[in-house]
Amino acid sequence: MIELLNRPVLRLVLLGFVALALQTTLLADMTLDGVVVQLMLCLSVAAGVSGGSERGALVGFMFGAMFDLVLSTPLGLTALVYGLAGFVAGYVNSLTANHPWWLGSIVVASSTALATFVHPIFASWVGVDGWLTLRVVQVAGVVAAFNAVLSPLAVPLMRWALVIRRRARLAPPPEIFL
Amino acid sequence: MPVYSVSRRRALALLALSSILLITLDLQGNSIVDGVRRAFGTVFEPIQDSARVVTRPIENAWRGITDYSDLEDENRRLQDLVDQQEGAFIAALATARDAQELLALNGIDDLTEISSITAQVVGGAPSNFSQTVEINQGSRDGLRVGMPVVNAGGLVGKVTQVFSARSIVLLANDATYAVPVQIINLPEATTTTSTTTTSTTTTTSTTTTTTSTSVPSSEAPPLGVATSVVDQSTSSPAPSTSVASIITAAPASTVSPPSAQTSTTINIDNLPATEIGALRGRGPDQPPIVEFVEQSSRFGEIRVGAVVITAGGSKSLAPRGIVVGRVVKIVERPGTAGAILEVRLSARLTSLNFVRVLLYQPAVSE
Repeated sequence: MIELLNRPVLRLVLLGFVALALQTTLLADMTLDGVVVQLMLCLSVAAGVSGGSERGALVGFMFGAMFDLVLSTPLGLTALVYGLAGFVAGYVNSLTANHPWWLGSIVVASSTALATFVHPIFASWVGVDGWLTLRVVQVAGVVAAFNAVLSPLAVPLMRWALVIRRRARLAPPPEIFL
Repeated sequence: MPVYSVSRRRALALLALSSILLITLDLQGNSIVDGVRRAFGTVFEPIQDSARVVTRPIENAWRGITDYSDLEDENRRLQDLVDQQEGAFIAALATARDAQELLALNGIDDLTEISSITAQVVGGAPSNFSQTVEINQGSRDGLRVGMPVVNAGGLVGKVTQVFSARSIVLLANDATYAVPVQIINLPEATTTTSTTTTSTTTTTSTTTTTTSTSVPSSEAPPLGVATSVVDQSTSSPAPSTSVASIITAAPASTVSPPSAQTSTTINIDNLPATEIGALRGRGPDQPPIVEFVEQSSRFGEIRVGAVVITAGGSKSLAPRGIVVGRVVKIVERPGTAGAILEVRLSARLTSLNFVRVLLYQPAVSE
């Protein structure tokens, strides 16, 4: 049983369900000026920061697909956007050798903002019009700020979920050896 | 600078292609995708219910902190509104009863014949882009995808996802929401002073319109309340020569004292004619619009304040007659594109608590 819990896939599935439950209940109602905090997006980009671009993309795709299944939007749209956000977060984070916590927050905030802008653009490409308005700027600002605040919790949480050991965490990101 | 191996690039490309494939399948209406959604919903429902129970106290505390002053203001405003509506409601009851009798006589369905289920809104939209709410009734209560949702104010939206004990309602201001609607210009009541001179050969008539006030959009009277205000600037006087276009309440020959009398004439051109269009939501920060308006000559010019109701029809997901809102702005477009009407919804979608799901399905889907 404990061996099973050490598998990243199971941890991610459990974490995904808990985060999705919080997203669709508590966070859906606790809005700030009508803007909903995006916990699933926060965890996706945090996966990129803690585990690199590839893991970020995979976790983002997985969490986005889970979110898509409870939304009325086309299945795969949020998966594509969150996957991209996780990838970008991991890529940007790998550009530096040192990773202080505040840098992680900045990467999380900027990747979140990017994803929030990209989401309505991709939506309009697949025929869902009306999302690309000036409100996106407000939404991106609020969600990015919240996710930056949440990142000191989200990054270690994703490190646990992805079973990244301390030694591996302190080592340089895998991208630079390739 | 990081370098990515071919296998990694393949993996990322695979993810992107998977997303695009899923989007394509879902947009085309794939039964497997629908099945996956349903299965996920069934698995996720108990988890979500548990989370709701656990997080309810936190949510209530948050609402208590953030919404208290708003609720106080709203309570005061609603109390005023209740006082205003009480009188109008009694008058409307009598009118509604007459209307129902007329509809029944003519074999026309009306909304009161459609069964409905009251549901409580238990959740908001988890996304910042789609405008949805979650209600606590599902397929076991008879709900189906597409059923219209209303509240006391009017149209709220439609059911888009149904699970066993809950459903997702797409609100009317969502960018993907659309429904055929009718636009009804309010009837113009004109008070006329007629002087009739009876003779063997001719009858002369003098008509004077006495009221001339336009209806500003911000002060539009509440729906369902009769109005006797005339927009003189946009209406043309009735042609007194056309016998067919004028119905006189009391013919001069039967009630014709020689002195001047006051009577009410109803101009057929000013009766509530209807225009058909398509209502489309545009997100939370912009009012919905009505497009593809077929302006008929009988309807005349669409006016600010015109009432918008659902048009019904064999293919419409909503029956005819659900109040949608009022026209608050008219944007003229050149050529044959027709005007775009901005509509203020009569239902307040930002503070929904209880809604009614009409158990209605169009004739073609039965």
